[in-house]
Amino acid sequence: MKTDSSKILVLEDLVKYYGSGESLVRAVDHTSLEIERGKFTAIVGRSGSGKSTLLHLIGGLDRPDGGKVWIEGKDIFSLKDDRLAEFRRKKIGFIFQDFNLIPSLNVWENIVLPLGLDNRKLKKQDIKEVISRIGLTDKEETMPNALSGGQKQRTAIARALATRPAIILADEPTGNLDSQTELEVMSLMKSCVTDFGQTLVMITHDEMIAQMADRVIEVADGKVVNC
Amino acid sequence: MKMTTRVAFDNMKYGKSKNILIGIAIFLTTMLLFIVPTVGKGFIDLQFTATNELYPSWHALYRNVDSDAARQLAAHHDISRYGLRSDAGYFNLKDARISMIYMDKEGMDLYKINLAEGQYPGEKDEIVISPGILHELGQEGGIGDTITVPYQIFRGGELDLTQEKKFRISGFLEDNDAGLEQRSYTALISEAFLKEEIPGEELSYRFLLQIKDTGDPTTDDLEIKISNIAKQFGISENDININSDYLMANYVDPATLPAIVIIMVIIMLAGAITVYSIYYVSMSQRIQEFGKLKAIGATRRQIRQIVLREGLCIAALAIPAGLLTGTPVSKAILKAFTVFANRDDKYMSVLTELLETGKVSIGCWWIYLLAAIVTLGTVYFSLIRPMHVAAKVSEVEAMRMQDTVKNRKSCRKGYEYLSVSRLTWRNLTQNKRKCLITILSMSATGIFLMVVATVMSCANPKESAGSSIVGQYEISPVIEENNKEHPERKWTEIQKNNPMDETLKSQIEELPGVDRVDAFTNIQVTGEPFDEANDVNFINGIPEEYARELEKGVTRGEATYEDLKSGDKVIIDRALLHWYPDLDIGQKLSLTIHDGNRSYNKKIEIAAIGTYGSGLTNYAYLLMAKEAADSLCENNSSLFYHVIADQDYDPALEKSLRDIVKTSGRLEMRTWKEQYDQYKSSMAITSGACYAFLGVLAVISILNLINTMINSVHVRKKELGMMQAIGMSDSQLMKMLQMEGLFYTLGTLVISIGLGSLAGYPVFLYAKKDGLFEITTYHYPLTAAIVISVVLLLIQVLLAVGLSRSVRKNSLIERIRFSE
Repeated sequence: MKTDSSKILVLEDLVKYYGSGESLVRAVDHTSLEIERGKFTAIVGRSGSGKSTLLHLIGGLDRPDGGKVWIEGKDIFSLKDDRLAEFRRKKIGFIFQDFNLIPSLNVWENIVLPLGLDNRKLKKQDIKEVISRIGLTDKEETMPNALSGGQKQRTAIARALATRPAIILADEPTGNLDSQTELEVMSLMKSCVTDFGQTLVMITHDEMIAQMADRVIEVADGKVVNC
Repeated sequence: MKMTTRVAFDNMKYGKSKNILIGIAIFLTTMLLFIVPTVGKGFIDLQFTATNELYPSWHALYRNVDSDAARQLAAHHDISRYGLRSDAGYFNLKDARISMIYMDKEGMDLYKINLAEGQYPGEKDEIVISPGILHELGQEGGIGDTITVPYQIFRGGELDLTQEKKFRISGFLEDNDAGLEQRSYTALISEAFLKEEIPGEELSYRFLLQIKDTGDPTTDDLEIKISNIAKQFGISENDININSDYLMANYVDPATLPAIVIIMVIIMLAGAITVYSIYYVSMSQRIQEFGKLKAIGATRRQIRQIVLREGLCIAALAIPAGLLTGTPVSKAILKAFTVFANRDDKYMSVLTELLETGKVSIGCWWIYLLAAIVTLGTVYFSLIRPMHVAAKVSEVEAMRMQDTVKNRKSCRKGYEYLSVSRLTWRNLTQNKRKCLITILSMSATGIFLMVVATVMSCANPKESAGSSIVGQYEISPVIEENNKEHPERKWTEIQKNNPMDETLKSQIEELPGVDRVDAFTNIQVTGEPFDEANDVNFINGIPEEYARELEKGVTRGEATYEDLKSGDKVIIDRALLHWYPDLDIGQKLSLTIHDGNRSYNKKIEIAAIGTYGSGLTNYAYLLMAKEAADSLCENNSSLFYHVIADQDYDPALEKSLRDIVKTSGRLEMRTWKEQYDQYKSSMAITSGACYAFLGVLAVISILNLINTMINSVHVRKKELGMMQAIGMSDSQLMKMLQMEGLFYTLGTLVISIGLGSLAGYPVFLYAKKDGLFEITTYHYPLTAAIVISVVLLLIQVLLAVGLSRSVRKNSLIERIRFSE
């Protein structure tokens, strides 16, 4: 058990391979890493470098072939599927490139969904505060199909923040946005992380975006080459 | 290959999983559309062939035809074949019943009677018998040997005194199982013997005839001709006996055509609704795909063609598969019917043999063609709307579309707090039309199922048996009105020395298992308004135990059991109105009461009219309180002892009662069990066919649920993955799918069972009025309702488990990336 409370995330010799023989892909190849609480970390790398796989493993969306992931001192892959799902909704917030909002739910419902799944008592004022912070106060009842790309990503950010998770994982969150909106969303994310005291791990291939992070980790061929 | 066909074919391969589902639906629909008419026709063909093998081939017979009329009838231009039969009398044996019948050569052919050996009787003293008869006579002999026969001849409307004569055996008939079991046989005598025994003026024949086949007559045409000929010769309706089974088996009954058409339309509708619903649910997710095609230059017509050809490509594979599978399945179902019917009689064994030897072929070319055309038609019909929708979609809109739902509201009030159940409800309300189509299409079948189940639950062999006999055993004296050999068997004679006395009653009551014995009184009456002096009717004296049943059965007028104690009032059974439709409440009948040697007149008023089972009335339609009926007679007029036992069937009690009956020698007995077995066997085939048909429809219907649920998950694979990524556990996913399924199931159940129950009652009333399956009492089809509910719920649970497993087959990452 890792005891250093300043390290919210610890990766220990993480391995994930796809395929076999000549077509073997070493998506994550014996990677170890530590990330501090309250920091904004960017993982950069070229397309196919294994950064998305790494993020999925960190988030418990996929299981590794070897190694461990510790979040707040908990070995997440020691948990069974249902417990892992529970851990995810309590401790991890996700922001995806293509927003992944639930089309049948309005903005408010999308944001409170992880709380509902966790049977957690809703603190309406907290949610209102998050919504106000991301500037969607007048859009609470709007359906996702009526939102712009930027608004959709803001909703996704609010959803990730709503449960006050230990860590927020963002997978190229600005990849589908125009440059103006990209900047807006990034500023918002950074300030939210600061304001709400969250830890953010974001993957991106955009050097400009990476520059906004407290720490940049470079990944190539499944290995951390620079951090 | 044309571009549209190429794209359609590639689409079919690309969307393999979706198209496999559609293919299964078309396959099953084809198979079911094939099985239902094949099994229906196959069963009718089998029955008809068996009927042709076993039943006489005369179309009708006229009774009481004298020699002159027979000669004239033979020359009638509408009659193609005719034969004569005359029933001369019976052998006088204690327990066996052996009829002495004369039949000419044509008559024998029309009855399909063939001699096992020897020749027909020609001389006065020649006779054809069977080994069973020899056994009953306790004699032995072969062809040419002489036997001694005690017999009674019908003379002057009654059986004359016993005579004895030596006959020479000229031939042998085969015994049949039913005859041996019931100890009932037929002996053939010569015309010379008949004419010697019965004077010419008293000699009457049964004239057997076949009507000339002109054109393509229906059973109705033939029956009209039979009736017209009878009218020309002054033969009364009561003397006409139409061989309906044979006519039905060989000529088209005009009533069956609309029935077949209605059944086929129901199947077509069920199939069309299902295939349409499947297409509707499946196609909506492909709008974006067609938008892309449009964007790269496909015209509306080409898009329509792509959708149509893709559907037809699947149908081209699924329809032949459905037809090929349907053939052995139909045969298996037919075989199962014969096993299920479980009738150990000649008819059933012939039926089974016909099926096994392949004498009746299963499935004919037009059913294959019909099933293929109807399925293609339903596929085309189902594709019209998706074709239209796909062709109309705007390129830009379709390309932008992130999900499947059109015309989505941009704003909507939502829940403040979300739970799994609210999440489920959100998804369902978002897809209202899809839900509605699924629920309504399943409910349409469900309602039909409930209506038929209502009729079938009312056709209850236990109840029919209960209606035809009161209690479990019915004991009565042997009555024979017209037998000179047994004058003591006349009812008026029995009254003077009735074996149904208190001693007998006590003897029965003391038997273990007997709760009580109810005695019914029977009084013979003649007079106004009954037409002829010899039209005998009876007053039925009903014990007070049945007062409630008697009062409950009243349908017109008012009469309490107390009213009926006066002896001046009766309730008449509605059945009497069939012969005397003018009888009415308040009318006073001038009756002659026959009591032993004594007769006297009495006026009795009709207080009410009611409907009762034959068990209560015993076909005596003037109903009175027992104490009143008893007071009308000086003699003992007890006709029936109804034994109320603690069990419906108790072999020990039955044996004890049979011993009493046998010892007396003057009594006979009917049992509830016999009646029940008879009704059960006759209803088994009908209910088996009905439930199999309903089962087939239910399968089509359930397919809808399966498809909708599979599609609902397939379309939302990414969405579900997304929900799981943000923390939905597997058990929560399972719960959500269960609740979705439960919504479809409960929606279907509420509509099917609710509306089905409401619609079932008028259908029951119609069936009761028409005497269908001898239905008398309404029974809610509780078993059917429970079975439908349990089956639907079970399928839904299994489906949710299966779907949840199939979702989990893909990793979470694969699911999240599903649409990429």
